[in-house]
Amino acid sequence: MQQTADKNRGHNATVPRGWGLPVRAVVSLLIVAHLLAVLAGPLSMPPSVLGNTLGRLFRPYVEAAYLDHAYKFFGPDPGPSHHLRYEMEMPDGSLREGTVPDAGEHWPRLWYHRHFVLCEFLNALPHADDDLNDPRLFARRLPFPGVQRDFARSYARHLLDQYGGKRVTLYLVEHVIPSTEYVRQGVKLDDPRLDSETRLGPFSRPRAWRPLDAAAPAAPPERSP
Amino acid sequence: MNVLTRYLRDLAVDAVRGWNQFWFTPADPATLAMIRLLAGLLLLYTHAIWTLGLDDFFGEHSWANRAAMQTLAPRGLDDQPTTSYAWSYFWWIDSLPAPWSHRMLWAAHVAALAVFTLLALGLFSRTAAVLAYLAAVSYVHRLRATEFGLDQVNCMLAMYLWIGPCGGAWSLDRLWAGWRHGRRTGQTLPAVQPSVAANLAVRLLQLHLCVVYLFSALGKLQGVSWWSGQALWYVLANPEFHAFPVEWLARWPVLTALLTQIVLYWELFFCVLIWSPRLRPLVLAMAVPLHLGIAFGLRILPFGLGMLIACLAFVSPELIRRVLKR
Repeated sequence: MQQTADKNRGHNATVPRGWGLPVRAVVSLLIVAHLLAVLAGPLSMPPSVLGNTLGRLFRPYVEAAYLDHAYKFFGPDPGPSHHLRYEMEMPDGSLREGTVPDAGEHWPRLWYHRHFVLCEFLNALPHADDDLNDPRLFARRLPFPGVQRDFARSYARHLLDQYGGKRVTLYLVEHVIPSTEYVRQGVKLDDPRLDSETRLGPFSRPRAWRPLDAAAPAAPPERSP
Repeated sequence: MNVLTRYLRDLAVDAVRGWNQFWFTPADPATLAMIRLLAGLLLLYTHAIWTLGLDDFFGEHSWANRAAMQTLAPRGLDDQPTTSYAWSYFWWIDSLPAPWSHRMLWAAHVAALAVFTLLALGLFSRTAAVLAYLAAVSYVHRLRATEFGLDQVNCMLAMYLWIGPCGGAWSLDRLWAGWRHGRRTGQTLPAVQPSVAANLAVRLLQLHLCVVYLFSALGKLQGVSWWSGQALWYVLANPEFHAFPVEWLARWPVLTALLTQIVLYWELFFCVLIWSPRLRPLVLAMAVPLHLGIAFGLRILPFGLGMLIACLAFVSPELIRRVLKR
């Protein structure tokens, strides 16, 4: 296939033709610069001397062109999965409970997956108890602890706005994947003992928002009382 | 001239010749055009999804609102935010007063979908390719909280299309040119000319894809489960991903380990083996079950298909034309 491809590309051009030397020289420099920028992202996550140097040199281009990723798909280790559970106090005193993502509400699959990634993103954010010297924080490219709280507040406000609630409590639910040994011993993949919750705190409706009696309680029906 | 000097001179001459042949040999744009068509459809689908809840992700009370996103701004040694180059026109739209921000948000979204449609159809192809890349980057910079591998593949594909004549085949541009040529001369349009720019675009995509696979494998080796052979079990047994019952796999740890290490070593050596004429068909053939496995087995269909579209960069234009003529 390669031979065919190169023959096809060649067009009797053992000596390349088409672009003159000055153009080829300038384009060659641009190619080298671009490829170094492509390498800067993965080389600097986790940090390395070479990666950080390239990262500093090409930072404007790398960020603007969206080249700042490590390409660690399912790496270094596939971890547990995460979703959000919420309990929302409604203006009439009732309680609305739900999860994000919700297979019943979030369809098609890509739409579900985007909501799933929201939860994984929240979990990956550094929180107040994190050690500033932990190199994994830098590996995640995130600035300092406490960011998780800011995003949890943003998620909470979104839910309060969407459903017209007074107050919402978020829980980050972690589902651990059992090892093959556990499964051979009879543990089911959806065993509730594999779940653990972290309370992300209650969040109230901001006072600056429109009063609740004017807020239209939004869309889907409650899942449970 | 001693042996060393002669060797270094020959090395330099060969390197320059090889560099020129690799980058600056004119190529049939068929490969680039096929990637354009498929990447255009992928970009259209993955961005059309946002229509289901544009305000949920871009509005004033979106999941990741402006205030939260600002906490991700890079910081200097004095702990103050420094300039971020992760631009997005959605921030400008977000700063508009209501109701203009809402109207502009929808206008920008519809315009982006129109651009992706033009790209897939191959109408004003190169202009559409530039705009598609800018739009795709703009979405993902605003939506960092929902970003995953699909966005990286989307932007990688869009990044190189505009460099070459991506509308050189299977496009409305080509049909239009043929119709105009026929009216003017009464003859059919001559075969598309080989182009250095087409080769350049495909070569850049090839090398970018090699970087992706290499660092994907090196990233996996920073953990323990890919080395120990358990990683694929932990991926497949994740209830967020598996599309079929997988408990039976727990009784076959050797099978899981074998599949895990095939994936790992295939990714690790892709950047070397893919350049061998004999091995390239085998390497690409292995990409098909791997990425279709991700697409259907893990239910991440667009990501799996996106990686396969990127792998098309290694398929010769001649083969693509031959297959499509059948």
